[in-house]
Amino acid sequence: MITKYVLPILLSFGSHLVAQDEPDSKPTSQPTDTAEDRPSETKDDDAADAEEDRFTVIRGADVYTGTGSMLRRASILIKNDKIEAVGHDLDVPDGATEIDATGKAVSPGFVSVGSSGFGAPGTFRLEEVADGLNPWDPSIKLGLAAGITSFGMMANEGRDVPRGKSAVLKLAPGDLEGMLCATDTILSMRMPLDRQQWRKLRELVDQAREHLDAVAKFEEEQKSSAGKSEDKKSNDGKDSAKGGKKKDDPKPPKPPRGTEEILDLLAGKKLLWIDLGNASRGWFMGGPTNSDNEKVRQGLEVAELLGRGVVFNRPITGWVYADRIARTGSMAILEPRSRVEPDEGNPDITGSNLASAAILADAGVPVAVMSPTSNLTLMGLYGQDVNTLHVDAAYAVRGGLDNRKGLRTITLDAAKMLGVDARIGSIEPSKDADLLILTGDPLHYASLVDTAIVNGKVVYERQKETFYSHISR
Amino acid sequence: MRTLAIIAASLAATASAIAQGDLSIDIYYGDRPDVPKIAKLGPDKVESPKLAFRCAKVIPVEGDPIDDAIVLSQDGKIVAIGRAAETAIPDGFELVDAGDSWCLPGYIELHCHIAGRGFELNDTLHQTNPEMRTLDLITMDHEMLRNALAGGVTTVMLIPGSGSNMGGFGTLTKTWGRSPDEALVRFPGCLKIAQAGNPERYAGDLGMTHMGMNHGLRMTLERGQKYYQAWEDFDAGKGPKPQFDPALEYLRGLFRHEYPVCVHTQIYQVALQTLRELRDEFGLWTVIVHGTFDAYRLSEEAWKRGVPVSNGPRQFQFNYERGRFEGLAANWYSGGRHGFRHPVRGLGRDGIGINTDSPVIPQEQLQLQTAMAVRLGLPWEVGVRAITINAARFVGVQDRVGSLVVGKDADLVFWDGDPLDPRNAVEMTVVNGNIAYRRNAERPRF
Repeated sequence: MITKYVLPILLSFGSHLVAQDEPDSKPTSQPTDTAEDRPSETKDDDAADAEEDRFTVIRGADVYTGTGSMLRRASILIKNDKIEAVGHDLDVPDGATEIDATGKAVSPGFVSVGSSGFGAPGTFRLEEVADGLNPWDPSIKLGLAAGITSFGMMANEGRDVPRGKSAVLKLAPGDLEGMLCATDTILSMRMPLDRQQWRKLRELVDQAREHLDAVAKFEEEQKSSAGKSEDKKSNDGKDSAKGGKKKDDPKPPKPPRGTEEILDLLAGKKLLWIDLGNASRGWFMGGPTNSDNEKVRQGLEVAELLGRGVVFNRPITGWVYADRIARTGSMAILEPRSRVEPDEGNPDITGSNLASAAILADAGVPVAVMSPTSNLTLMGLYGQDVNTLHVDAAYAVRGGLDNRKGLRTITLDAAKMLGVDARIGSIEPSKDADLLILTGDPLHYASLVDTAIVNGKVVYERQKETFYSHISR
Repeated sequence: MRTLAIIAASLAATASAIAQGDLSIDIYYGDRPDVPKIAKLGPDKVESPKLAFRCAKVIPVEGDPIDDAIVLSQDGKIVAIGRAAETAIPDGFELVDAGDSWCLPGYIELHCHIAGRGFELNDTLHQTNPEMRTLDLITMDHEMLRNALAGGVTTVMLIPGSGSNMGGFGTLTKTWGRSPDEALVRFPGCLKIAQAGNPERYAGDLGMTHMGMNHGLRMTLERGQKYYQAWEDFDAGKGPKPQFDPALEYLRGLFRHEYPVCVHTQIYQVALQTLRELRDEFGLWTVIVHGTFDAYRLSEEAWKRGVPVSNGPRQFQFNYERGRFEGLAANWYSGGRHGFRHPVRGLGRDGIGINTDSPVIPQEQLQLQTAMAVRLGLPWEVGVRAITINAARFVGVQDRVGSLVVGKDADLVFWDGDPLDPRNAVEMTVVNGNIAYRRNAERPRF
């Protein structure tokens, strides 16, 4: 079987991942909601047995896995919407669709950590994300031509308390169900907080912790009352307990009002983005002129208060606090080329640093990058928006990040910022088959996407679409 | 079918013209005098140590690349260049080992608004402002100039903005110097004219439409032309001494073809007005600096008139009819059908430049601008020429900058590798033979 060939690769990826992902492996390795949104593995297999599995094999390309490694002239086997195997000399079932990618490069689809458009609703409430999707939005194909296969979006961001709704969407043209990758993996709040806001946040966290203690105590009591094991059984299975002797059963404690988000964060069900007010500042004459040391430090205090890593959204001075960011298990989204001059009084700890991505990555912090403009625009300023997300990864490399790790900043590590790295962001068995066949090195400025595959389906082919087919490469 | 065949043949002819090395453009300089009377040139000699730079590769732009090369510089100029094995380092020259880097001439930016205080570029009291100039704004201790050096840009044309039809006179300066006078390459570097796409007076007074704007330009240029003619007549002993008019003095140099007019112009119709009014009617040495949207469709008209194009900051136009990304620099360069019955000729290898309009696109990203043009179809070699020798030729300073040739300014930039790849950084920048920037890997400026 294929496993024979795949196992060593899988193992090597696995160890790599563990080594790289230690700080945040807990919160992000279990993306919420995915089980609800998508059919489970077993279901998939059952259905596949009935309907016959669809196999695709991509041969001959240099495979940039997104984890930081590259396999020369390797093959990728796709089964339905998942990656089945990666490696050399794969055991390919008869009837598999063959894609010859000799001389080309394969990369995981790029992940934009925060965009709008691409068939997404302009704004949304939690339950309405799916209702607002338009899988026939023409901008989906534009995004695919740029290599973007997934993106995150947020609404109702929090100010002084963690709050917000979020969705991770895929660029799956014509496939409404396939567009929805995950919902509500992220909360956000904004730094800095004043003294009163800090008191409020600390109170909420204390209340949440007290509640968790109460729940633990309650469960302990339930367990220890061993004599009532039958009662407990009926109490656990809600369906069978209907109409039972409810009155006598002790009720579990209810979470105090306002602590729901905090509880999700403490349980690692969601990630907290720390907005520093630096994002979405546009390209023209804009941008912060002051350093954000105080805001980053406050964000770190939030991480320490929660005992969970947070995601710093476009810190300017994150590089100054690299070790502390790593220690708290936090992550960072950077805009590598953005520039803030150091303050005259403290030049060594203020201002931006092109080496930020490298410094943070060296400290063990997952780093994603974003473009100066977070949407895809058609106004003609090329290289400034997510139309060329790979350019921002390239600037991280310019600052000293290893070229292959550079790709992580727009693939696996970007997926981590959205809490969906268990599903997307790398070319590894069992992950979603979202990948690109490119004319060359994914981070080379002139590489174009030849083919984009989302959920195992070919959804963009350069030669069949109008956007870039006239450019010879 | 017959039409198709004709088109195919014509396309092939255009393609083969380019392929066979028909790359030239006869840039129109008018009757440019050898020695300027109005324009002030920078210093002939700039103080600099005797240095011998050694690096893995030199791409001189004019001439073949040289592996394991040495460049000698003295008094601000290149005094020798060649293979390390064949180039002796004379006594008194200090060796600067640039390791594995590639050495290229410093990049030239033809359209920028840096070096002044803040975003200081528009005084739009009048519709045309020939009395304005950027010369007095320049300070060498400027953040954006330091960024330019970190991005490999050593020469910039600092021009006024496009808020009025005639913004004033721009300055061509190096991005490093011990004083603005030392850094100066030429003042005026050019006259800045803006035709549509910003200078419109939407309040409804004269200059709201193209007609009004062209009229305003014509009136001012005619005044300048008369003033120029009166002085020419006086100099030739054919007329009385005209009254000195500071507002028109630099227009006099413009009509003497001592410097070009750099025109903010874009869109087919507007660029056509540029060619007809400024180049045909007034016979000005004209450089198009923007040339965006669908202006590239005029590539043959511009080529015929010897008008080169520095393209940017927009690098593509989304062609909604065909649903495709038109690479603007690539289209200017190669020509093509572009909606016409028969294909038109492009500007060729020597007629296309690239600019950032910094700080619209930050000055240090001139490299990225060019990389993006290459991504959209401009050949790599043309991309490198566009921001070096081409730009120098467009504004007539090719005797000083734009390539690495003995006798030219020692403006050297040492890159990590492919000088168009944003992953590669500048390790060292040399301006007029002086090391102006060295990259600190711990905390690189860019």
